[in-house]
Formats: sequence, C-alpha cells, structure tokens
Amino acid sequence: MEILRAASCGSEERSDAQVRVQPAPALSITVHSKTGPMYRSRIEEVGREVISRYGIAQAEVEIKEQGAYDHVIAARLEGALFRATGGGEAFHHPIPLQGERKASPHDRLRRTRLYVPGNSARLLAFCDTFDADCLLFDLEDAVPPEEKDAARFLVRRVLATLDFGGTELWVRINPLGRGGEEDLKVVLGGRPHGICLPKAESPVQITELAGLLYQLEGRCGLPWRVWIMPIIESPKGVAQAFEIAQASERVVCLAFGAEDYVREVGCARSWEALLWARSQLVAAAKAAGIQASDTVYPDVEDEEGLREETGRVRGLGFDGKGVIHPLQVRPVHEAFAPTQEELSWARGVVQAAEEARAKGKGAVAYQGKMVDRPVLRRAERLLELARELGMEVRDAA
Amino acid sequence: MPHNAVGREIPEEIAGKALRPFQGAFTTVPQGRKAAGPLKTIRPGTNKVVPSLEEAIKNSGLSDGMTISFHHAYRDGDLLVLKVVETCARLGIGDLRLFPTALFPCHEGLIPYIEEGVVSRIEGSMNGPVGAFVSQGGKLREPAVLRSHGGRWRAAECGEVKIDVAFIAAPCADQCGNANGLFGENACGPISFSVIDSWVADHVIVVTDNLVPYPAIPPEIEQGYVDQVAVVDRVGDPSGIVSGTLRITRSPTQLKIAHLAVEAVKAAGLVRDGMGFQAGAGGISLAATDFLAREMRKSGVRAAFAIGGVTRFLVDLLHEGLVGAILDGQAFDLESISSLREDVRHQIITPGFYADYNSLGCATYMLDFAFLGGTEVDLEFNVNVVTHSDGQLLHGIGGHQDVAAGAKVTVITIPTIRGRIPTIREQVTTVTTPGEVVDLVVTERGIAVNPRRPDLKEDLKRAGLPVRELSEMKAEALRLVGEGSSPVFGDEPVAVVQWRDGTVIDIVRKVEGWQ
Repeated sequence: MEILRAASCGSEERSDAQVRVQPAPALSITVHSKTGPMYRSRIEEVGREVISRYGIAQAEVEIKEQGAYDHVIAARLEGALFRATGGGEAFHHPIPLQGERKASPHDRLRRTRLYVPGNSARLLAFCDTFDADCLLFDLEDAVPPEEKDAARFLVRRVLATLDFGGTELWVRINPLGRGGEEDLKVVLGGRPHGICLPKAESPVQITELAGLLYQLEGRCGLPWRVWIMPIIESPKGVAQAFEIAQASERVVCLAFGAEDYVREVGCARSWEALLWARSQLVAAAKAAGIQASDTVYPDVEDEEGLREETGRVRGLGFDGKGVIHPLQVRPVHEAFAPTQEELSWARGVVQAAEEARAKGKGAVAYQGKMVDRPVLRRAERLLELARELGMEVRDAA
Repeated sequence: MPHNAVGREIPEEIAGKALRPFQGAFTTVPQGRKAAGPLKTIRPGTNKVVPSLEEAIKNSGLSDGMTISFHHAYRDGDLLVLKVVETCARLGIGDLRLFPTALFPCHEGLIPYIEEGVVSRIEGSMNGPVGAFVSQGGKLREPAVLRSHGGRWRAAECGEVKIDVAFIAAPCADQCGNANGLFGENACGPISFSVIDSWVADHVIVVTDNLVPYPAIPPEIEQGYVDQVAVVDRVGDPSGIVSGTLRITRSPTQLKIAHLAVEAVKAAGLVRDGMGFQAGAGGISLAATDFLAREMRKSGVRAAFAIGGVTRFLVDLLHEGLVGAILDGQAFDLESISSLREDVRHQIITPGFYADYNSLGCATYMLDFAFLGGTEVDLEFNVNVVTHSDGQLLHGIGGHQDVAAGAKVTVITIPTIRGRIPTIREQVTTVTTPGEVVDLVVTERGIAVNPRRPDLKEDLKRAGLPVRELSEMKAEALRLVGEGSSPVFGDEPVAVVQWRDGTVIDIVRKVEGWQ
C-alpha cells in the first residue's frame, strides 16, 4: 500500500494520540510520549507493527500521545493510514483477539445498555470497568461525520483488546446506506456480540442487516451469530414494532429511543405521552418472544428520578433500560432486581403448584388467587433472575 | 546498608547527620524537652513596624547559612518566599536553608537562586518544578527533607530544625504582631502552620499588606512571639489557594471510586451519628464527600466533625446541619474563609492540634475514616505520595501520614491507571505511608482489603461489594497499559522522607537511566 497524501488522525485529549503520516522515501517513526521514556520504545514497536500489517514500506510517521494505550495508538495510526492511502480491503481484515470471548445467550440479562462514544479514547480508556450488562459502542449520534472512519478503527481495537468479562458487547452502527455497511465491515473484526440498528422503521431494514451479517461474520471468523437490537425511535417504528421484532431470529431485544419519537410525534417527554409507545413496544417484543429495553434517562444528576422511572418501566414489562453514564448502571440494576416481597410471592406460587401437582390437582390457588400457567411462569422467571443475581430467596412467610 | 521496617535501605548517616530508620508507626518514644525561642522583653510603646521587608531582614541579623521558615497558606499564590530570597540575594546573604511548609509551582523562580547557592538546603514539601529540579541531583548541599504536616510541627517543636528567622505572611496584622489569615483584601484562610515557627524561632517577622488598628483578631499568631511587623505592597494572591477542582468531577472512573469508597465505609458501619471524617479537595475526595452527604441525608446521620482541606462543599454541610464542626487547617476557596469569619463551629486548628506525633492528642486520632489519594500503592499496601513512577519528586506529603495513622479506617482512593502509568506496583517507588496504617485501597476495579483487617473484609463481602486482591487489579491494569521501562536509581540521595515521628521511611534517589 502506498501513502498518497499527508493525513492525521486522533486528538490531543487525555488518553488519546495524534498520529500524522506523510509520503517519504523511507520509513521513519517519531514518538512524543506524555509518559517520557517509560513507553517510548514500545510505542515505536506498535507503530512498526501496524505499518507492516498494511504492507507500507515508505512513510514518515509522527505519534504524539497523551498517555494513550497501545491499541489506541494502533487505531489512530490505522485511521491516519486509511485517510492517507484512500482505504482498501486490508482495513477490513479482523485483528487478533486478545484473550477469550464467549458467545452470549439469546435471553441473557440485559438490564442496562450503556452508551459509550465510539471516538473518545478518554471515555473508552476505562470502559471495561463500567459493570453494565451491555456496552454499546456508539458510531452514530456520538460521532461527527468527519470522524466516523476514525471511530470504527478505535472501536474495533477496543473490542479486540480489552477483557470485558461477562459484559455483552454491542456496536450501534449508522443507518444502512449512511455508513452502516462500512461500520460493519470494520467493527465485526473486533468480535462484538451484537449490532444495534438505529432508526428501525421496517422489517426490511432488519432482513437487510441480517443478510449483511450472514455474509460478513464468516469472513471475520466470528464463532457466533451476531445478534441484532433494533432501536425503535419513531412513530412509524412503533407501529411496525412486532414486524421488526419478528423479522429475523437474530433480533433479541427491541430498544426504545424516546428523543426522536417525541420530536416526530410532537408530544411532551412525559410518562403519559410515552406510555402508549412503551406499552406497544413491550407487547410487540414479548409477542415475538424477545426482550424490551427502555429509552435512556437523560438527567444524569437525578438518581431518584432514574430509579423511579426504571421501577415504572419494569412494571410495564421492560427487561432493561438505556443508560448514558456509568453511574446510572447501579440504580438501574437495583431497580430491576426482584424485591423480597415479589420473591416470597414467587416462592409461594411455585410451592403451591408443586404441591398441587403432587396431589394430582389440576387447579392451583395461592393466597386465594388462581395460579394459571402465565402466573407460574412469571414466578419461575423471578426466581431464576434472583438466582442469577445471587440473591437470597426466603420462603414465604 | 540496614533496612527499615518497610524494607527500604536507609544509610546510617547523610551529610554527617545520623538517620533513625523507621521501625513501625507508633514505636518511637520521644525523649527530652520541647525547644523554645530565646527569652525577650519590650517596653510599652516599642515600635515593631518597619516599612520594608529589606529593613526587617537587616534588623533580624539574618546571615549566611541560617534557616528561614514560611507557611504555605497562599499555596500557589505565595509571593513572600521569592521576595525574601531575592532580598537576601541582594543583601549578599546566601547558603540559606529553606524550611517552608510547602513550595508550589509559583516558586519555580527559586531555581536560579538554588543554582547560585543563595538557597543551598530545603526542608519542606516541593510540589512541581522545584521538586523536579531537585530530583536531578547535585542541586542542594544536602538532600532535601520531606515531612508531613505533623512531622514538620514536631521537627520545629523538638528542635530537630532550628529556625533562625520565621517569615509569616499575614493578610491581617496589627502593629504589635498579632496576625491572622481571615481578614483583608488578600485573606488566605488559616495561617496556623506558622504558629510553631513563632514559638521556636530566634526571630519572628510578620509580613503584611494590611496593617489594622490594634487588636487584630483572632490572633492566630500572637504578639508576644513577634519581633517585627514588616509592611509590603502585597503579601500573596488568594486566587492561588484554590486547590483541585471546585466542581464535582464528571469522570466516570473518579465517581465510581468515590462511590465505592463511601459504600465501603458504610458497609463497615462507620457512617453513623457522631462520626468524624476527613474531607479533601481534588476530584475523588470532593465526589466522596458529596456521596457521603447524600448517604447522610438519606439515613439521617449527622457527623460530629470533619477535618479539611476545607472547601465550600464542606461549609455547605456545616450549614445544612449534617456536620457539627469543621476543624480547618487549610482553606481551599474563598467561601471557606468567609465561613471561618462567621461561624464559630468552623474552627482554625494548627498541625500541632491535628497531626503532631509528639503530642497527647491529635484530631486525626478521632477520625472514623479518611479518604486519601496517592501516586502509587504496592502489594504491601504501602503508599507513595511524593514521587511519580519515573522517580521525579513532585509532591509533598501533606497530612497523608498523620491522617492515615489516626483514622480507624484509612481508605486510599486511586485509579489503577493514570495517564497510562499503572499505579499498583510490586513495590512503590517511594514509601511515604506504610501499609500498616492503610486499610482499604479502592480503585475503579474493586476494593482491596489489607490482610490485617479480616473484619473489614467480611463487612464488605456481606454488603456485596467487589472485594479484590491488589495483585488481580494490578494484572488487569497491566493488560491495558503494557509493561513499560523503569527508572534505574543511583546511590545519590536527593531527598530523605521522614515518617511523622522523625524516623526515615525512605530515601528518594537520583535517576541514572532507564531499563
């Protein structure tokens, strides 16, 4: 590959690197490191590795970094090379995954989906410690158009490098036809578990995405089927929610995005105004046998408000909620945890059902109310959740 | 070379002075009597006011090789240290030993005077450029000496450091030398760090830009100890006292650490009526104070007192009734200074009151818990606050040792990575505070409990908090940042780090290269 023009990528923010490349008769790498001599030779080595990966023999490379990790420096160099060479197939090749990553089950816990801006090295630096059930690397709204290419490389490297433990990893791509395809080609090389599709309005979008994933996941050597989470954020999307949920077996969860919905409908961002859309979305998801995740709570300062809203959407049947700050994770998880009252009710229901079965009785009642199959299933689900969360389940009083 | 109780090699003597190796946090038994200045008297009507610093210095008899002392209440807005040193240079006085409580980036101008030998020794905290300069080695006639707030008070009080002339910057003073830091255009908050200097120095000069009619109250510095009152144009710039941030951090990592730290002391049962806690400035400390306040509001708990580093956040808690009293050694913003003027529950304290080892009572011994920072921590729970991992001496000890030694539960709050540098080390570059007085290390990856505190470990686990091993968190951070080169230290000592009792806990040595 050849350097056609001078280009740069990255920023002078903390934990980021600014990388410049330009045409030159030979290869040279200069490093200005915030940490002084501590990592200088290592950074040079990273530079050489990336350069040789793209088969470049002649270039002048300048790396100015502010405490950036190796993978950030590599991603910024890739971004600069992409811009300087005009791109090509080589930029779609998957990069080696450090450590192991397991597949993520269809119905795993998804209480929180935490949005992380895809081009912020500073915010990505500690993203393995945020404790959300799902991390959602955002290439869409959080990234300005001129940085979409840079963000793809950064997200791919972060995905491939960090150990996220049991967190499910998602990437919110741009809409198909507006950069989404290119997003997929690059980020699937980092082995995410799922792709979040914004502004989902029709089942055709989902089948199109599923088709692309089918083509690309083999090429990237992905050992699992990539899940899809459509974000419903328009009245049209709400009207089509069930069809969207059913459009592909890859769809595991419908997410609600209230901001655009409120704007398009012209309604208030109030509980009443959103109630129909929320209920519709939950019903559509459950009818398709998948999960539903609520919109974000935009006021990060207001923890009480977040807890209250989460409690209410849990009451509607949502399985999770979008969060925009790691501090929102804990309150949402707590709000989704079953209460002791619910658990002792569930235990009672299950016990009553077992006893009835043992006695060969068909009809089961608990606390004077009939226990039919959906009630029993709800009770069992609560107990499963409690076990998954390591909660103590006390017997009914 | 013998090793001290934290395994550091300590030479038997440096520059002809015998060093006592650190033996443990509370092992030293003090001997002898307190030091004091010479007996003096005056007649009624004696005039102490002199119109310039230069004249005061001439009158004081300051000469080559002597020791001069300062407080750091103006922090990065101090104007006096440089003014005194410049004047001494002009008067041909040199080879001075500086005994400030702390130096800041604003004191970078000292460097040429160190090179010329006007200043040849420094015993005091060095934050920033002067520390970096001294780290190069060979700059001072003797290695610098670093002490905690309590350690410095002790050194002056027992005569370990004899002060020849004490210079006390005072935004408010009267003709007799009574002085405080609370009033005047350039009010800076308590100047109580200088109280010990006024008691033991051979000669005491109060330097003010605000001479008020007698009496200047409250008299933090008392007239009976003051030889001269020098009047200058401007004694200091109070905008420099602002420490850390004045807003609660938005950094997810810092917030997470602060939150975990508060959850930990809550789990230990320490968030209860009548508690005492240490509040600091800076990102994580402020956020922790904020989380603690929320917890207190929620559970109706009232603290008996808090020790600062005082900011308006703490003052707000006092006014809200969540904190019964503030013990204030340093003000970090202007709101705290006005609170000191207006509210008797907000009290000025000296380092002698809160931190002195050779004392029959320290406010820090009444602390239930404290949140402290550090540049590094190691697998033995030792903490470094003075050097960076590259060996540069860049910070003072402050009250770190005194608070850690006193608090029932000492919590070190530290991100595992700071600008790519991993903070959990096999061994810290410099031991400042020994692991024996550190109970918890809280990072964004979890909470490590000192094996000396199995009780705490149980409390934390019961509360469902993420209890981790330091070694695990160290490995996780290293996975992200990778193994870098390390500095190679030579033999030349650039600074002696004392434990608060005067024993030597570590030596900062010159960096010779990298490997």
